[in-house]
Amino acid sequence: MHVYIYDLYVTQPKFSNTITRVETRITDLGLNGKIIRLGVMSSLYDSIENELNKGAKTIIAVGNNSLLNQVINSVARLTALNSVNKNIPIGFIPIGKKDNEIADHLGITLNEEACDILSARRVQKLDLGLINNYYFLTQATITTEGTTVEIDKNYSIEILEKGEVGIVNLPINVEMPENIKSNAKDGVLELFIKTRNAKKFLPISTGKPNQSVFSFQKLKIINSKYPVIIDNSINIPTPVNITIAKEKINLIVGKNRSF
Amino acid sequence: MFNKDNNEMSYKEAETIIGPSIKVKGNFHGQGNIIIEGVVEGSIKTSNFLLIGNKAKVTANVEAKEAKIGGEIHGNIKVDGYLEVAATAKIFGDIEANKLSIEKNAILNGNCRMSKGGEITTEKK
Repeated sequence: MHVYIYDLYVTQPKFSNTITRVETRITDLGLNGKIIRLGVMSSLYDSIENELNKGAKTIIAVGNNSLLNQVINSVARLTALNSVNKNIPIGFIPIGKKDNEIADHLGITLNEEACDILSARRVQKLDLGLINNYYFLTQATITTEGTTVEIDKNYSIEILEKGEVGIVNLPINVEMPENIKSNAKDGVLELFIKTRNAKKFLPISTGKPNQSVFSFQKLKIINSKYPVIIDNSINIPTPVNITIAKEKINLIVGKNRSF
Repeated sequence: MFNKDNNEMSYKEAETIIGPSIKVKGNFHGQGNIIIEGVVEGSIKTSNFLLIGNKAKVTANVEAKEAKIGGEIHGNIKVDGYLEVAATAKIFGDIEANKLSIEKNAILNGNCRMSKGGEITTEKK
């Protein structure tokens, strides 16, 4: 059974036509399932746990980056507790352009077109980053201003110019150096530091940026002023410990994915 | 690769790149290729290739399988295979390698020891 989790914002009137088209397409493809509409007070974790215990075979997030991150977190936590099937696939139907950059990198098109990707069911097992007790799929970013980075307790990094620090699992809008291969299937995270000539993690930058890349097992970030932002959507206050998670997730992706 | 006016250092696949605006303190040990263009204090060790760019400043003992040196190093260098010292290099320490090339204008203040198959091939003084 498919379980569709609708983000709170998709119930807004401006998305009603889109949601109707999505639901029609789901019906046409024979992918009908249960719909859970998130409310202000509803617990996503509890809802997913209930549905998985009832025998749900696929969990589908209908929303944006933030909802996808929360669904991944819930499934990964339940997997870590060994309370659910470890191979439960997660699907994603991104609704609206806003805050939906991750979908593009997963090869998932917006709105009702995502239903066809769901139907094709290309499942990829992907790594997750773990920041304190929170999982992330793509990357965690923080400004270099006031940031101290300690890697594996063996050495520390001092950043001499302003820029941004990124901990990358699946690069989203990050122009990594050509000789660095980074993707969510390699079992490692990369610390990426971009300074001076670089624009904020944009794919096109002017001049040659100063880039640094480190692979690591464990990393600590301290910054008293600024939080770490994960998956372009959620703020986590520092100090944070970051590592690659033992848990992996099965994500339904499109053929035009970036990895 | 080591043109004076060319800051571009590249290698087909690198595990670590330490950029010009980065200072690393501590024991930096890796398995893959390492490119250093910034500042490192402590020690550097890799079982693969090490490239030290011409603006890099390293105060550390260095160990690698192969290396190209273009920057300033205060410390000893031990390379299992081929060590290439560029014209821009300033080395203040001893070097040990199996194969060695030193470009004109490079600065080397220290002892040089060549080894092959575990045997030292240079004359002992």
